[in-house]
Amino acid sequence: MLAVRSSHKPSATKRIILAIAVGALLFVASNLIDEYRIFQGAQVAAYLVGIISIVLLTGYSGQITLGQGAFMAVGAYSASLVVQEFGLPIWASFFVAVIAAALFGAIIGISAGRLSGPYLAGATLAFAVGIPALANAIPILGGEQGLSFDIGYAPGKYADTVSPYKWLFWICALCAIIAIVIAVNLTSSGIGRQWRAVRAHETAAALSGINPARSKVLAFTVSSGFAGLAGVSFSATVGLVAPSSFTLALSFLLLTGSILGGISHISGALGGALIIVIIPTIFESWTEEASLGVATYLPGIIVSALLLLSIALAPEGPSELLHKIRHRHRH
Amino acid sequence: MNLINTLIAGVSIGAIYSLIAFALILVWRSTRVVNFAQAGQAAFSTYVGLSVEKAVGNYWLALIAAIIAGVLVGAFVEVVIVRFIVKRATSAATATVAPVIAMLGLLGIFQGLMGLIWGGDYQPYPTAFSRDGISIAGNQIPFSRFDLFVLLTVVVAMSFAAVIFQRTSLGLSMRAAAFAPEVTRLAGIRVSRIRTLGWAFAGGAGGLAGVLVAPTTFIAPNSFDLLLVFGFTAAVIGGLDSLIGGVLGGLALGIGLSVVTGYLGGSYTFMTAFVLLIIILLVRPQGILGARGARRA
Repeated sequence: MLAVRSSHKPSATKRIILAIAVGALLFVASNLIDEYRIFQGAQVAAYLVGIISIVLLTGYSGQITLGQGAFMAVGAYSASLVVQEFGLPIWASFFVAVIAAALFGAIIGISAGRLSGPYLAGATLAFAVGIPALANAIPILGGEQGLSFDIGYAPGKYADTVSPYKWLFWICALCAIIAIVIAVNLTSSGIGRQWRAVRAHETAAALSGINPARSKVLAFTVSSGFAGLAGVSFSATVGLVAPSSFTLALSFLLLTGSILGGISHISGALGGALIIVIIPTIFESWTEEASLGVATYLPGIIVSALLLLSIALAPEGPSELLHKIRHRHRH
Repeated sequence: MNLINTLIAGVSIGAIYSLIAFALILVWRSTRVVNFAQAGQAAFSTYVGLSVEKAVGNYWLALIAAIIAGVLVGAFVEVVIVRFIVKRATSAATATVAPVIAMLGLLGIFQGLMGLIWGGDYQPYPTAFSRDGISIAGNQIPFSRFDLFVLLTVVVAMSFAAVIFQRTSLGLSMRAAAFAPEVTRLAGIRVSRIRTLGWAFAGGAGGLAGVLVAPTTFIAPNSFDLLLVFGFTAAVIGGLDSLIGGVLGGLALGIGLSVVTGYLGGSYTFMTAFVLLIIILLVRPQGILGARGARRA
């Protein structure tokens, strides 16, 4: 019995070993593919963390967020500030980003955690529109140009042999792997079960001894911490922290990715991140004058149409749909 | 800048917020969906107006074209997409978030289509009247002939809506369908058709708002995102269920933000609206003017 259980739900140690194995595989892979694909890999890793933050908040805790880009901005700006103003090393700024965004998320969560449905959607939407505008207005944050955020070269003697893109990919992939391990452990722990209980039925959850309000605020805090990490990874790929990086479009893109990958489980995040990076890539070769407009706007239309279809046909994500189809065949 | 001037300056933009709030509330009452795609619908209608303006060179024809486009797009969206989504998605565990996400998908499609058809650049939109401040007894006030036109147009549109809602049997059906769809259906009214009509009216209001605000904000596929947030805030001030509440909420927000901008500076405008939105949602989710039970669901 015990063996059966552990084969279904790997323990934390097994997950960490698996993560190290995946990391080693990615390390080998990064030496085999070309520079541009490596850069895209870094993008996937950054988006992946952002999507995890949405899956935690919306998929597990049941609170919709249209403004995850705003939490990413908080993380990215605080990371860039501590490097520029206090001279902290880059690696430390990643921790600062997570902590700053989580604190901010806690404050927002205390108020927004009491809202639900369209009200929460509207409030987080306002947040997503407002934070870049606010960042633009605060002088220390560098206005429209923003602040630079350069993760530099690999340390010591590797600086010459490891290309900047490869170094970037390693950092982003490491962040993503750590984020996945933490998120999976968290969601299969008591906290994750509490979130799902509150999402399924708030009153019933309260009757079984869960404090729904506290559970929601915790979900907001944790999710924002992940968003902060996503923000700093994302800024590392851009090399810059500016209001124009954290638009409403970014928030929507991440939400789209989380729905297309399947919002009800962490495992969907990888698929979602791949989709939102790959679809625009398909059109990148269309650079002639006549097709440039199409190449710019068609990916957005396709992704949005996929989002609509996914909500209509498989609201819980493609994995759920596959499950249903498989079930139907057995009958 | 004295206080009276500041108040006056907020009236016409407040009237535009009222229109957007009106559109959002109308859709919310009929379908229980907050139409985040309204920003895209309004921009699309405004682009249609701009195209007519460029082709014919007549402001009034363009205005009418934009309103008609808004009505058609609103009806189309309800019949082809919303009806299907609401039916399919509300059975899943993600029922509360599905309509919101579907509306975002729709917004993305609209913005992409607009980019394809009209390009992504900010384009100016013409006005029928001067946008210089009117002079009264030698003093120029921050209220132009165009502002006056905006205000009068919104007043006329709202009066038209009020007459329809309060004095016609169609309006009665719409009010009935909003608050008791089952009973209305039993009374022999085609509620689905009434819903389509609600979306069509809302689309028209959005198109009108787009044409009225475009000379100030210019027009681009995503130039109305902020307007949507302000319209939503206005609707929440009014309680999201009360049309008159939304209209008054829009005016109050426009004037209030104008005061903040006038005395504290433009960078505080959005923060004020956001804080106001959060405070109202927390303290009075039923809205300042809403009397009925709180709606947090």
